[in-house]
Amino acid sequence: MAPPRITTNGLNLPLPTRLINISRLRSYLLRLPLFTRLILLAIVAFWVLDLQTVWSVIQWGSLTPKEVGFGSMYRLNTFPLIHMGFWHMLLDTACLIPLLERFEAEWGTLNSLALFMGPLGQIPAALYLLVDGVILRDNTPVLGASIWVFLLLASEAIKTYKVHPFIEIAGYNIPTWISPLALLVVTSVLIPNTSFLGHLCGCVTGYLWGLGYIRFLAPPEKVLRWIEGKFNLLGRLPHYVSVDQQTYGRYGVLPSSSTTSPGEHASPIGLGWVGGGILSIRRTAASKRALTWASGNSISRLRKDDPRLLRIPPYLSALCILGGIIWILLLPLNEYSRQTYISENALLPGQVHTYFGGSEQNVFRAYRHELATVSGSTLSPGGNETSSIEEERAWADKRNAKIQELFRNAGLKTARQRYSYTSSGQTFEGENVYAVLHAPRGDGTEAIVLLAPLKNIDDALNVNGVPLLISLARYFKRWSLWSKDIIFLVTPDSFAGPQAWIDAYHSTHDPRAVEDLSLKSGALQAAVCIDYPFEHRFETLHIAYDGVNGALPNLDLFNTAVTIASGQMGIGTSIQFQHTYTDRDSQSAYPSRLQILVRGMASQALGQATGPHSSFMTYHIDAITLTAIGQGWQDEMAFGRTVESICRSLNNLLEKLHQSFFFYLLMQSNRFVSIGTYLPSAMIIAAAYTFMAIYLWVLSGYRLKEKTAVTVDGTAEQEAKEKDRAADKQTPTSIEQVPKVEFISIDRNLILPIALLAGIHLASLIPLYLLTSLTLKVMPSTFFLLALFSIVLPIVLASALPEMPNNTTLPAFAAPTNEQYVLIKSLSLLLLGLFLTVLATLNFSLSMFLGIACVPLAFVDRMPGKKRLAVLQYLLLLIFSPMGLAAGLGVYEYFVSGQNHVLVAWLQRLAFGWNVWSSWGVPVGVLCIWLPAWIVGATLVASSWFSGVNNTTSQSPAAAQGRRGVVKHSI
Amino acid sequence: MAISLDRQTVSIYAGAALLRLLVFVAFPDLSDFLGSQVEISTPISSFKRLQEGLFLYQHGLSPYDGGVYHQAPLLLVIFEILPSALVFVALDILNAVSLHTIANNLDIPSRRFRKLDGTLIAAAYLFNPFTILSCLGKSTSIFTNTAIIQAVFNAQSGNPLRAMFSLAIGTYLSMYPGLLLPPTLLMILKNKDQPASLASLVMSYIGALAALLSTTIILTDGFWDFLSSCYGAQLTVTDLTPNVGLWWYFFIEIFDSFRDFFIGVFWLHLVGYVGGLTFRLQSQPLFVITSLLGLFAIFKPYPSIADVSLYLGFLPMYSHILPLTRYTFIAASVLLYSTLLGPAFYHLWIYAGSGNANFFYAITLVWSLGLTILVGDTLFAVLRDEWEIERPEMKGKSVRQI
Repeated sequence: MAPPRITTNGLNLPLPTRLINISRLRSYLLRLPLFTRLILLAIVAFWVLDLQTVWSVIQWGSLTPKEVGFGSMYRLNTFPLIHMGFWHMLLDTACLIPLLERFEAEWGTLNSLALFMGPLGQIPAALYLLVDGVILRDNTPVLGASIWVFLLLASEAIKTYKVHPFIEIAGYNIPTWISPLALLVVTSVLIPNTSFLGHLCGCVTGYLWGLGYIRFLAPPEKVLRWIEGKFNLLGRLPHYVSVDQQTYGRYGVLPSSSTTSPGEHASPIGLGWVGGGILSIRRTAASKRALTWASGNSISRLRKDDPRLLRIPPYLSALCILGGIIWILLLPLNEYSRQTYISENALLPGQVHTYFGGSEQNVFRAYRHELATVSGSTLSPGGNETSSIEEERAWADKRNAKIQELFRNAGLKTARQRYSYTSSGQTFEGENVYAVLHAPRGDGTEAIVLLAPLKNIDDALNVNGVPLLISLARYFKRWSLWSKDIIFLVTPDSFAGPQAWIDAYHSTHDPRAVEDLSLKSGALQAAVCIDYPFEHRFETLHIAYDGVNGALPNLDLFNTAVTIASGQMGIGTSIQFQHTYTDRDSQSAYPSRLQILVRGMASQALGQATGPHSSFMTYHIDAITLTAIGQGWQDEMAFGRTVESICRSLNNLLEKLHQSFFFYLLMQSNRFVSIGTYLPSAMIIAAAYTFMAIYLWVLSGYRLKEKTAVTVDGTAEQEAKEKDRAADKQTPTSIEQVPKVEFISIDRNLILPIALLAGIHLASLIPLYLLTSLTLKVMPSTFFLLALFSIVLPIVLASALPEMPNNTTLPAFAAPTNEQYVLIKSLSLLLLGLFLTVLATLNFSLSMFLGIACVPLAFVDRMPGKKRLAVLQYLLLLIFSPMGLAAGLGVYEYFVSGQNHVLVAWLQRLAFGWNVWSSWGVPVGVLCIWLPAWIVGATLVASSWFSGVNNTTSQSPAAAQGRRGVVKHSI
Repeated sequence: MAISLDRQTVSIYAGAALLRLLVFVAFPDLSDFLGSQVEISTPISSFKRLQEGLFLYQHGLSPYDGGVYHQAPLLLVIFEILPSALVFVALDILNAVSLHTIANNLDIPSRRFRKLDGTLIAAAYLFNPFTILSCLGKSTSIFTNTAIIQAVFNAQSGNPLRAMFSLAIGTYLSMYPGLLLPPTLLMILKNKDQPASLASLVMSYIGALAALLSTTIILTDGFWDFLSSCYGAQLTVTDLTPNVGLWWYFFIEIFDSFRDFFIGVFWLHLVGYVGGLTFRLQSQPLFVITSLLGLFAIFKPYPSIADVSLYLGFLPMYSHILPLTRYTFIAASVLLYSTLLGPAFYHLWIYAGSGNANFFYAITLVWSLGLTILVGDTLFAVLRDEWEIERPEMKGKSVRQI
């Protein structure tokens, strides 16, 4: 009964090739007969149809006793094809397919069609209607193919019963026909919502069929045979099983020997090193024809050694990149993003009354006035350089003494900390002042930081923020409900000061540059930075959340701030400076959301600090900066109350914020996408490069040769021809010609590619070192030299590579062959894909942007002989290069903002980030991932100009021709 | 160890030694950093822990007090006398020289086999990033690696007693090299030049091991302390610091009542490979040792990349079977990916706090998968090669088990 096992080569070897034989499963599925396929298709189609919510297929097609009338007799036929859900469908089809396949193999396709659409489908249904609807007066609808499963099981059981009537278990003879009933009981006990009655009806019908009482219902064989002959069904329908099995065999054709061809082991898609022997496509083509005639299935015609498969990967990888970009573009839609929500219940945002106000406002004004008396120098321009620096220091000292005095008056312990960083030859120094409020109800093991920088990230004086912080300190001191210490920190700037303080707090600082802290508290739980850089009233609060290296605070902290500001205080919130480019009404429109999303990603990719809070993220302390913006009617007390409420929420925390997301992209202050939704886009872009790498690896192991002329290997050719002729006898001649190509496998020589790539990647550390450690004076010249050098280097390398035969000392480094060029590209793309994947886990946005910037690298190639095209490619690469990016940035900023030293300012920022914040993302990403890959790609393109006489002499003409064929594909 | 000293050889050795010394001198922080990476130093091979033991030892206390030090006491004596950087560089060079000689004298009965250039084998070992990293990270696994390489080298060059003594040192240091006894014995017995009897070899191995163990009594007071914290820690996996292996996560998760049973199962699994591989591949004992080293690097209790570097030191001697392997590209890609993703996920787990232990564990599974593919694939290739010797007419043809 079972289909014959197809075995071709009579070798019986004890070498296990695979543990789970997927190919056997695949061939089983591909050989399913026609009616079984149709049923499978119908079941799946109904399931898909039921996915929509407008019209319920289940209600339409189920067998509900009360609903069945003359107009709805169709239900008798449709109910076995419709299922409750995916698992119901999967389970039923998995049980049904083998049974149905056996039935069809025995009875033929036409018979099965007639029987299952006729008596075998309707008798159980009618029985069920009779018992359930008429006798029991119940109205339970039934669905699903399981009724057929039991029917077929019962008929099989009868067949078994005729051969082996009993099985003996422990002395008892158990009749075998009982097995479906046993199964029936077990199913109805174990699986919920199964219809015992429905299954029983199936069983009964199956027994009747098996015993032959209703055989007369089957259509007469003569008629079926006539239909079959008249319409030539056997010839027209693929997978058709004939009624008449004596003449045609069960499947209408003899089993072909095509599933395992002798060349399979050495197929070009196999990823191993295959050496020795010539593999001819023709050989498999012959046996393939026998199959195609029977199957007619266009997918099964594309076998794994078909040369057409080799054309797919470049398109696949282009599709991946496109898919990744489209994915990102879809994210702002409502369907893919989510409303933010508070996960951590302990936070209870906005549930407390806030009392900061009233007379505190007078205190605030007094503090502001006192501080204004000591901030003189920053307002009055000094005389000459040195005296102004001296003066500045004196003023800073006075100011810090004043702040310290104010803190001390409020009853807090205070301390100061000096720091001095050097980056790009410039010194950034200052002194932090801070005070610790010991928690009246805590043990000092946990603390919250409130921070106000004297100057914010845009270098504007934080005129209201600092007095606000001090008055909050005075106000908080009088409350007895704090369970966490609160640290009030005033830093002179927004970029170096917080970093120095947080480093010293965790004792990871360099004691030569940064002073130790003399006063410490417990583990920091969260930090809120106050930025109010003007004296008038404000309109909205801007919340900055991205940290150094693209780290983000727990989404709960951000949500708490948004909920409190907008819900409790009635202050609007904005993110990513959206107030500068969108108006309030269109914030939830698609373009605005997309813009915020992309800006957020850009900021994350840059990995620079966006506020004083950014440094905290390095130590996994959740932190945000609240900035007052706009001209409105909210006063500083409202700001203070917001901070008070946030502190009260944080004070409630029992453990560190961990409930909500750490990886998210915001597109509005109350909408986000989480990592599960957005990460695939970066991953598939990285996968695109890996696809190309694997594809090129496969290519580099073969020479593809078109067999137009009579060729080398006579015997193999002869053999193939004979096979062809044998096959031609059986098959109709109208089959399309399979392209005749030959793969000659060659050994890969990896030494040169690996050495070249390792060299280029190691060399990329030089610009990294230079750009991060040089002083500002020599920075521009070094940068331009490096850029120029990087543009010329590929051409130099490309011209040097073919000259390698002159290098006699190291025989491994001879001039690279064409295959080695392919290998170089393959390995370079492999590394690129690898780095991008790793980067995507650390800094998603950077990986995404780099992935998009590197797109041309996957698709450019060397094209010897087409020098003009190569020039075009080189120009394209120049545009999509780090140098092109830098030039574009410089020109853009020059024309837009009219600044002259934009590039240098950028370089300085990056160097500062590298030296102080240890923000490695952009320098490493651009210089150590993008630049090496770019140089390799550009070298390959440039080598089109230098593949002179030298190279072709070492190549056989056939191979050269083969290469050209392949090159055509890979572009 | 007679190796010809031409310009190429000298430049490779000198280059490798200079590279290591340069990094030790120029970037002393890097060595500390690498030494604290879980992929490089495990509880039984960490140099930091050794320093702790050394401190206790020098102050007259038992090095095993405090439960941090799990290594053999002889190492303490070595590092008490010699500067550590030099020891590690010298051992790497010694290993490379031994591999060089082994490769030069290797002759495999296969038609594909070509005479090997030992210099390339040595270069492949010395410039393997895993070797360099574990040397810079001062993983004390290198002593075990040296012992194993010396055992193979002496077994091949016909010094059975020295081979047994080296293997005994390896066993004394970290136990698992004892499992290499059967293939090493096979290798010695197959070597017709030097007749040796099995009994005397085994006796010399046991004698050497006993002698080494007895040094402990001289060096430290507590012999039982030594046994329980050196071998007990390996047998029962008491220290569950994460590493690249499969044991730590499993034994963190396991219920205590099943712990003993599964420790037995895990060890039995490890031991199980020895007999089968030795028996099946008895014509190529060196390949048995190579494959076992690969399996140990996956399945032993505290594996690190130092174990992989040892496996990858031997593997290039079988470059002739490369055309027969099928998944080398996949294995290499998987290893590359997990090498980079491992530290990234560890960072996300421990420092960034945005990942968890499952991130890192998943990557160690992938890493083990990559190594498994490599070991399985090379085994397949060697078996196929053997089979093609038997049936030359089937060379290059596809076969399939039915």
